[in-house]
Amino acid sequence: MEIVQGIVIGFQVAFQPINLLYCFLGVFIGTLVGVLPGLGPAAAIALLLPSTFALSPVASIIMLAGIYYGAMYGGSTTSILVNIPGEAASVVTCLDGHAMARQGRAGPALGIAAFGSFIAGTFSIVALTLLAPLLVKVTLSFGPPEYFALMVLGTTLVTYFTQGSMVKAIIMALVGVLLGSVGVDSISGRYRFTFGIQTLMDGVGLVPVIMGLFGISEVLLNLERLASQHAVYAAPTGGLLPNREDWRRSAIPIVRGSLLGFFLGILPGAGAIIASLAAYATEKRFSKHPEQFGQGAIEGVAGPEAANNAAAGGAFIPLLTLGIPANPVMAILLGALMIHGLQPGPLLMQRAPDLFWGTIASMYIGNAMLLVLNLPLIGIWTRLLRVPYALLFPFILLFCLIGSYSVSNNVGDGIVMWVFGVVGYLLRKFDYEAAPLILAMVIGPMMEEALRQSLILSAGNFAIFVERPISAGFILAAALLFVLPLFTRRSDVAKV
Amino acid sequence: MSKDLASALFWLAIAVFVSFEGFTKLKLGTLRQPGPGFFPFWGGLLLGACALILLLRSLKSREWLGSGAIPWPALILVLGALLGYLLFLETLGFVIVTFLFLLALFCFAEIGWIKHVAWSVIATSLVYALFKFWLKVQLPSGLFGI
Repeated sequence: MEIVQGIVIGFQVAFQPINLLYCFLGVFIGTLVGVLPGLGPAAAIALLLPSTFALSPVASIIMLAGIYYGAMYGGSTTSILVNIPGEAASVVTCLDGHAMARQGRAGPALGIAAFGSFIAGTFSIVALTLLAPLLVKVTLSFGPPEYFALMVLGTTLVTYFTQGSMVKAIIMALVGVLLGSVGVDSISGRYRFTFGIQTLMDGVGLVPVIMGLFGISEVLLNLERLASQHAVYAAPTGGLLPNREDWRRSAIPIVRGSLLGFFLGILPGAGAIIASLAAYATEKRFSKHPEQFGQGAIEGVAGPEAANNAAAGGAFIPLLTLGIPANPVMAILLGALMIHGLQPGPLLMQRAPDLFWGTIASMYIGNAMLLVLNLPLIGIWTRLLRVPYALLFPFILLFCLIGSYSVSNNVGDGIVMWVFGVVGYLLRKFDYEAAPLILAMVIGPMMEEALRQSLILSAGNFAIFVERPISAGFILAAALLFVLPLFTRRSDVAKV
Repeated sequence: MSKDLASALFWLAIAVFVSFEGFTKLKLGTLRQPGPGFFPFWGGLLLGACALILLLRSLKSREWLGSGAIPWPALILVLGALLGYLLFLETLGFVIVTFLFLLALFCFAEIGWIKHVAWSVIATSLVYALFKFWLKVQLPSGLFGI
């Protein structure tokens, strides 16, 4: 009953003209970001965050969320037509999507990607609507030990799901935790690692770090292929609607992709990228004709595209119920909520029901908008792809500069962004992934507080983490994740 | 030196620094009452341990430093332009630095100097209008009050 009430409130909020407008703007910008290679949703949301300060909290979260799931739609367009993933979660869509385009079947590929995304997106929002309030009930009883154990498990999952070396991912997570400790210590009030620099007193800003790691460094990497930027693309010919045979082949992959994507989306660190890879591997395994994969099998488009959209919905669960971000985008949304004076976590649903339910309801509307926006406007998106990168990247950089500055009208934040742009570039050159660093940087301070509070609670006895059943369960699961890779080969999905 | 060895040594240095700072300056406190240095100290130790594992593994690595071409001129120009923008933003003002920034970076587009300058002017005006009037972001005005 509570859920029905919530949904009613949610739609009342989401249907307010101003919120509808920002929902539309969000999914529109999201599609744009998804279509454009070299600008991902994390960087885009970070650089648009300052422009939402003037909005109401509900409108700004609705818009930022729209950018995220909108990007999942847009990414497939570039993958299919140009064979360059517009966005990391659409990498596998290139394989069969572009093969279909070369056979003159770009239309059905784009069509099934859009319909699959819509079905999976809507499925995951329904699941989010039903699951989130239940989880809130459970998490309300969590004390510091449970939180600490959960965050240990979360960070372990992040490193487990990374595609490169696990040691490097753990290093990234630890560096992130340490970066999170810069600034005032919340318990003793002492400054840590600030080196007398004013900008660092409040800690290393999340927004400039994300813009540096995901925005600036991406541009720096793309400088290498500036000369070879003339994309060859297959224009969609004929209708966009998949035929009956296409639907028959895609129906089950979309269902499987939705389920897989949603559950992987909930897990910290897994997210849309792993979900799309896993869905592709799954479809190949279940297919009666695995040899067709890579040659234009429509299942290889439908499954992953459904999965990445479902994952985008699932990722909201840990943020809305626990206040723990599952991926870098959720980390910025967490930052956005806090800027607006809202503390994400189990109490969010009670304290700000209009925001909690309004955001969820807006996602139903946004998904419908995306379906309408994507198919008829395909022509506009493809024309956009003809803008040379050499003209585009100065704008990406400029928006990052303005964005980092306007968070708090401080050039220092821009410098932090610059430094992390260089750091991000080096990390990629040395084969490190940035996502564990970002997540750990956000989780780190919460983890430290929970740990120290737990120890104060137990008078210095570490047994508190294993004496309480829920916390013991989390710790055990985390330990298993560390031990497991020693016996089995990790992540088959990485080698599709 | 292999790539992994280089990065392992770097993290090791960071780990030593952080743990040392945590232990000496920030103080660990007690288990009953953990101090500000408690978390950085143990985090630093763990980081050091991981760096050592990476270091040992890197001895087998054959991916050397400096492999792969790096577009130095482009990289330096872009990083320089970014830094210049930040350093002069508040003295010269938004409009002037934005124009100069775009003028510098449109070099990569190779579109002829008339288009080059025209684009920079148009783009600067559009971005200014977007942020100033629509998004109402505060932009520094600096020199000449613009």
